[in-house]
Amino acid sequence: MTDLLQLVFSGLAQGTIYGLVALGFVAIFAVREIVNLVQGEYAALAGLAAISAVGAGLPLLVAIVCVIPLVVGVAVLLERMTIAPVKKMTPLTSIILTLGVSTAVKAVMLLIWGPEAKGLPNFPGSDMTLGGVSIRSQELWVLGIGALVAYAVIWFYEHTVRGKSLRACAEQPIAARLVGISPRTATVVAFAVAGFTGAVAGIVGSPIYLSSWQSGLSLGLKGFVAATLGGLTSLRVAMIGGMALGVLENLVAGYLSSGYRDAVAFVVLVLVLLFRPNGLAGKTSAVRV
Amino acid sequence: MQRSMRWLSMGLAIGLAGSLAACSESKSTGAATGTDAGGEIKVGVVLDITGAGASLGVPERQTVELLAEQVNAAGGINGRKLKLIIEDNQSTEDGAAKVTSKLLNTEKVDILLGASRTGPSLAMRPLAEKAEKPMISFAANAKIVEGSKWVFKTAQNDRVVLEKMVDDMKAKNITKVAVARDASGFGEGIPEMLTEIGKSAGITVTTVQKFAPDATDFTSQMLGLRDSNPQAVLIWGIPPAAGLAQKAYKQLALNVPVYQSHGIGNQAFLDTAGDSANGLLAPMGRMLVADQLKADDPQKAVVTKFIADFKAKYNANPSTFAGHAYDGFMIAVESLKKAGTDAVKLRDAIEATSKWPGISGVFTMTPTDHSGLTKDALMIVTVDNKAWKVAG
Repeated sequence: MTDLLQLVFSGLAQGTIYGLVALGFVAIFAVREIVNLVQGEYAALAGLAAISAVGAGLPLLVAIVCVIPLVVGVAVLLERMTIAPVKKMTPLTSIILTLGVSTAVKAVMLLIWGPEAKGLPNFPGSDMTLGGVSIRSQELWVLGIGALVAYAVIWFYEHTVRGKSLRACAEQPIAARLVGISPRTATVVAFAVAGFTGAVAGIVGSPIYLSSWQSGLSLGLKGFVAATLGGLTSLRVAMIGGMALGVLENLVAGYLSSGYRDAVAFVVLVLVLLFRPNGLAGKTSAVRV
Repeated sequence: MQRSMRWLSMGLAIGLAGSLAACSESKSTGAATGTDAGGEIKVGVVLDITGAGASLGVPERQTVELLAEQVNAAGGINGRKLKLIIEDNQSTEDGAAKVTSKLLNTEKVDILLGASRTGPSLAMRPLAEKAEKPMISFAANAKIVEGSKWVFKTAQNDRVVLEKMVDDMKAKNITKVAVARDASGFGEGIPEMLTEIGKSAGITVTTVQKFAPDATDFTSQMLGLRDSNPQAVLIWGIPPAAGLAQKAYKQLALNVPVYQSHGIGNQAFLDTAGDSANGLLAPMGRMLVADQLKADDPQKAVVTKFIADFKAKYNANPSTFAGHAYDGFMIAVESLKKAGTDAVKLRDAIEATSKWPGISGVFTMTPTDHSGLTKDALMIVTVDNKAWKVAG
């Protein structure tokens, strides 16, 4: 029983990271139908930049406050340079395009930070044991910050005029433009949100899961799988799906074999695409896909 | 217009993808041109420079570059300059096979060095055997050289490491050991070998857990170890995974002694594991504790000089992996001095290496032992406050 709780708990923490990355996928796809494969790279970039900032002597909090806007800026800049010039964007074009950008970003990170994986220092707090379950204080930070960011993003998309106007762009691009919503601004905001969730994921996860030039690849893949659970359009399902994926991975590793851990995400992806291509929520949409 | 934009974007994507390929391409240093027999000596080096083995491959590359510079600055080998051709196998087996073929067939190297880890080394072995070129691996698993004619290696055999570990367990009356091992070639066969070597001491393996070399969460494996009620735990892997496993081990409040392999001898391990590394036990070569060696130790001089040279050039301490690269490279240099570049003579010269003091130990190769080290090359080392100490 303790084992089960232990596996579930550490899975939830790992899954929160997947969930945050998944939010980024949805934040963009819900607005522009762009599958942004650079998403995982935001996390890797944020982790590495924060490690360098701390290494340069900045206090952890200051480093984080500096790095997050930096990564948001990079996300927006990459969008302006690579997505904006494309006149007719289809999901396929976006996949090919962002795959290329992600490869380039990885190469740049490899050149700047070298090939070794590094970790941020732990956030303040001490580890504890609760009913036989060992809880790392960093995992509590991950869960807490993850929940906060997820709540903020969902609230932004569903309850603010700016957020609603983003979704209007996706559903009725021409009508949205007629009432004065600029698709261009909408795209920039969407990429900024994606950069933000990616950066948070990369920073809170770095002390436990480390950051390296290539850590964005597996984060991106797993975040993408979590996002497909919500048909790439539901923020809630993406976040919860990410957490569920983390738990499922841990349970498979614990009770079957740890060798299967990384296969879990792909099996889930195949099953979702076969049986619920519009996501678990199951709404079929004539407009989408 | 729209169509041309799409092609443009695709072209851009492909171009960007190509830029990464360019990054991983070969880097060659040393003298240029002139490849006739008797000219420069081509040394092909295959290392895990990116990917899971990066913390091994990077210092190894630095080491061979440093040594090649020194040899060339001293006039080369019998007047012939060394030309290094360093390739990155990206820590994969197929990557290693690909660049090895290139080195053998296109570059026509005189000797092959590498790879950093067991898996890629095993992928290189049949190619070297088939091409009948001598190869010296820097990796550990005994399978790399078992029954080989052309392949040698410099890292201590895992068998030797386990023998040393079993001696220590015997002294501490430990009989039940739980094992968490690297799921790649490095950890292959370790629990079985431990059972075999430990039989006489009554040592049994209570459970075997595996982890991928790039794994980040070790909860499930450590729970498996805890539930088997061992008297000691053996974690067999390389950093960062070995460091993360060590950390998870402490966090899950396992309190029995933990043994680690000789795969953890670098700063990356100390950085990743932090305070959780305190008190671990690992059989290690002498370099990590060079400052604590006795003055009459046969390796003291060579180890001290290498550390000083490495520090002067790279402003960092060399890891044990840098040491494996030193041994491989210098055995190659010594043998090239004696035998030149004729493949058969060179191979025989490597096999004739005897009582040669290197970084990882004093090497004596024989036709049946292409690894050259015994358990005397190792000391049980522990960690105290992020520094290596002789245990006991």
